[in-house]
Amino acid sequence: MNWPDLSMGGYGFYVWGSYLFALLAIVWELVTLSYRRKSREQEKAAPEVLRGTTNETTS
Amino acid sequence: MLRWIVWRDLILAWRRRADALSTLFFFVIVVSLFPLGIGPETELLRSIAPGVVWVAALLASMLSLGRLFANDYQDGTLEQLLMTPQPLYLVVFGKVAAQWLTSELPLICIAPLLGVQFGLSNQTLRVLIVTLILGTPVLSLIGSVGAALTLGLRSSSVLISILVLPLYIPVLIFGAGAVEASIIGLSPVSHLYLLSALTVLALIFAPWATAAALRISVE
Amino acid sequence: MNLYKYASPTNFYPLAGKIIPWFATPAAILFGVGLFVGFFIAPPDYQQGDAYRIMFIHVPAAWLGMFLYILMAIYAGIGWAFNARLASMMASSISITGAMFTFLSLVTGAFWGKPTWGTWWVWDARMTSTLILLFLYIGFISLQSSIDDPRRADRAGAVLALVGVINVPIIYFSVQWWNTLHQGATIRILQKPTIHGSMLWAMLIMLAACWLYSVAVVLIRVRCIIVEREQNANRFVEATV
Repeated sequence: MNWPDLSMGGYGFYVWGSYLFALLAIVWELVTLSYRRKSREQEKAAPEVLRGTTNETTS
Repeated sequence: MLRWIVWRDLILAWRRRADALSTLFFFVIVVSLFPLGIGPETELLRSIAPGVVWVAALLASMLSLGRLFANDYQDGTLEQLLMTPQPLYLVVFGKVAAQWLTSELPLICIAPLLGVQFGLSNQTLRVLIVTLILGTPVLSLIGSVGAALTLGLRSSSVLISILVLPLYIPVLIFGAGAVEASIIGLSPVSHLYLLSALTVLALIFAPWATAAALRISVE
Repeated sequence: MNLYKYASPTNFYPLAGKIIPWFATPAAILFGVGLFVGFFIAPPDYQQGDAYRIMFIHVPAAWLGMFLYILMAIYAGIGWAFNARLASMMASSISITGAMFTFLSLVTGAFWGKPTWGTWWVWDARMTSTLILLFLYIGFISLQSSIDDPRRADRAGAVLALVGVINVPIIYFSVQWWNTLHQGATIRILQKPTIHGSMLWAMLIMLAACWLYSVAVVLIRVRCIIVEREQNANRFVEATV
């Protein structure tokens, strides 16, 4: 095992930039998913009055 | 049936000549914009001419596709056509053929003039016309799939572009490539063969996909 | 055991919920292991120094982008052919993750290109094909989001996905052709690093990690989609209350 050169031989910006971007992409995906879940929980709890009753079987 | 559909669409397009003509003018204007944006240097224009003419043809096709099924859909004719005993494949084929005749054929006729503007030689102009004759049917056919999928949706014209332009890319590559080969003196034959292959594939499969998409959209 | 009952969204919902941790946790672990092997064990490359380490995220992202498109088309086709709602929901769920990975592979490819080729973007066959793949994903997602009726959206998406998947080899070939014709005097400076054992291992582990991650995320999203679409069906409400 060898400790990596943190500056990546001068290419640090590119290497760490890519991994940061990957991390952001993954975080974005998970955050939008949790947002979707939260808004759906809210929907279940208090469905919009405009759409009428909650248990209509016709969509 | 096929002849009837083509004839009907041609008559309807004739009554609205402005639509087809506006597509043609769009083509001319877009092609003319490029020298204005890039500069009048002849060598440069000659090298970008194939790409510019072809991209403008793609964009002009996109405009005319919105009209392919929309009018019939709005007045209910499309539903009637879907219910005829004749195969929907033929109906689609007929409509696409009429669209090609009204929208693409004028482009093909005017493309040589635009090619002269860009300083192309006669030999190259011939190749340009051939590639357009081979390639524009594919544009109409693949475009008809997009038009059928987006029938009746909001902002369908932009959506058609997003759906169909990536699928146009092989046609663009081989079509523009053939003209470029002719410009630098190589034989365009290999490009033309590949372009013809695309045309044949599109002729066989695209109307089927469009028919399926029509049934999905009209239900 | 009757597996077909899981074709129903109502029955699949709890099953997916149980499966997700089995993919999410190994994904996180493998990400850690892969990055460890990639950074601590794999040596610097002879030609590219340490810059090649971007490969450990770029290559898996690119492969997954392509693989997920094909998978999406298969699910969409099954949903259309067998009128199976759940398959279409899976296709819609996969589309977003696939687009994300394709976009990621473009960005990491650009980051890899700058130190090695000198420019952020090069119109070579692979990058161009990946860009077109992203356009295909965007088309699919746009089409589905513009159609209000979910069943029409499913079927229209299926037609588009199938037309797209048939076109992918044609597009790839034509872009290759276009690229080799226009190569001219430009020399390909980027060569794949001569694969050292540990590099290959790191890449494969990262590939497995990304794949496991995709499965987990797709299942989470499909659960959201199931709720959004089935929430008015009485049996679903009863089953998940």
